[in-house]
Amino acid sequence: MGNPYEILGVREGASKEEIKKAYRELAKKYHPDQYGANPLKDLAEEKMREINEAYEYLMRNASDGYSGSSYSSSTNYTNTNDYRNTSNYGNSNIYSSIRSDIQRGNYAAAETALNSISTRDAEWYYLMGMVHMRKGWYDSARNYVSTAYNMSPTNPEYRDAYNSMNRNNNNYRSNYYGRTTRNDECDFCIKLWCLDTLCECAGGDLIGCC
Amino acid sequence: MFGYVMPCKMELKVRDYEKFKAYYCGLCHTIKDQYGNLPRVTLNYDMTFLAILLDSLNEKPLASKQIVCALHPLSKKLILYDNDPLKYAAECNIVLTYYKLIDNINDDDSLQSKLAIKVLKKHIKDSNLNSYIKESLNKLYKMEGEAYKYNIDEISHCFADLTAYIISQYVKNNAELKEKLYWLGYNLGKWIYIIDAWDDLEKDMKHNKFNLINALYNKDNLSFQELNNKVKENIDFILTSCAYSCFVSLKNLPIKKNQELLCNILELGLLEKMDTVFKRSELVNGQSL
Repeated sequence: MGNPYEILGVREGASKEEIKKAYRELAKKYHPDQYGANPLKDLAEEKMREINEAYEYLMRNASDGYSGSSYSSSTNYTNTNDYRNTSNYGNSNIYSSIRSDIQRGNYAAAETALNSISTRDAEWYYLMGMVHMRKGWYDSARNYVSTAYNMSPTNPEYRDAYNSMNRNNNNYRSNYYGRTTRNDECDFCIKLWCLDTLCECAGGDLIGCC
Repeated sequence: MFGYVMPCKMELKVRDYEKFKAYYCGLCHTIKDQYGNLPRVTLNYDMTFLAILLDSLNEKPLASKQIVCALHPLSKKLILYDNDPLKYAAECNIVLTYYKLIDNINDDDSLQSKLAIKVLKKHIKDSNLNSYIKESLNKLYKMEGEAYKYNIDEISHCFADLTAYIISQYVKNNAELKEKLYWLGYNLGKWIYIIDAWDDLEKDMKHNKFNLINALYNKDNLSFQELNNKVKENIDFILTSCAYSCFVSLKNLPIKKNQELLCNILELGLLEKMDTVFKRSELVNGQSL
């Protein structure tokens, strides 16, 4: 990663508030969702990931006092899970009530609550994705969940949600595509038996017992 | 509705195949008995599925008879008769076709549609079903007119909701069952709406007609092939997700009969249709009839 200060466009030693403000502006600008199916989307996703990494890094280190040389060699910043907790301390209560709304099946309430939140972080995108999934809005659901996953690639919940969307479809498809090859094992046995018979004709034996 | 919901014939037992035909012919004759001969041409497979699904929720044994049908005078046909879901499906068929024709007239002012409307008009009575269908379709056509404002989920919501309403409205006094049918109908309606647009894409682009996919995804004036490559994966994902949800919700329904036939349609039939529309069929199911 490059210099996190440069990526976010703030001066070295900026306060948490300044970093947050810069992050929000960049996130608004580069958010992959607004690109729809535009080819720029991939670029925006890449940029967004960079911005997230820089932001996480600075937020984690802002309190310890940031020293200019440590970031470039730092390898300890794989733990992106904290991101949710650090940036969203204000929203965590709302999120847990939204989660229980979703569990109870009250999707309309969950959606209204989500729409009233202006800071949109990975958790927000994940929950919105879940709501849209239950509404049958699969295309936007996949966009939301993949945004959450991109913003926070190490979060196992987001990753599972993202993968399971494709997994369910693939399993469903395999019933259709697999239906003509159902007898594979049987087929294999018959081939083996034929081979054995041929070997015996030629004087040898492939399977000793028959 | 447009006739995309069909069984995967190759995997169907002969018994179920005959049953599907009996429902299909039964629906045709129900339309004849209730609305006369001319509206019979509006018959389609999606409505047959509606009748089969709703009929599978009751335990009544099927009442069938063999008849000689004027359209197929050389062989006797087995048909179902005196069957409430068939009557309901016949009514839905007439009302949906009527409003579809009105839309056709708005599009291209065809004489054929005008004549057909004259025939159907006297059967369109004031009912909740009628007004719901009318309102939903009007809303849908309005949204299609300004498609650039919406995404695919928002636009297809109208038609999905309408299909869900039609399927769940048949059941009275059972909120839980209604909800399950609504979800199945929602996903099926969305599937029908999107696969229809995808199927017609090339034709519509050639003739410069409205097409949902073209309106939503083709802001840079791509050719059909370029557009096709660009959005194929997306459309495939949405359609498969819808079809999968239909199949899962079928498993949650209290089905009393026709289990295998319904499973065949939602587990294999929908995917087979997608294969045909995405032009992958020859790879998997070369000997399609």
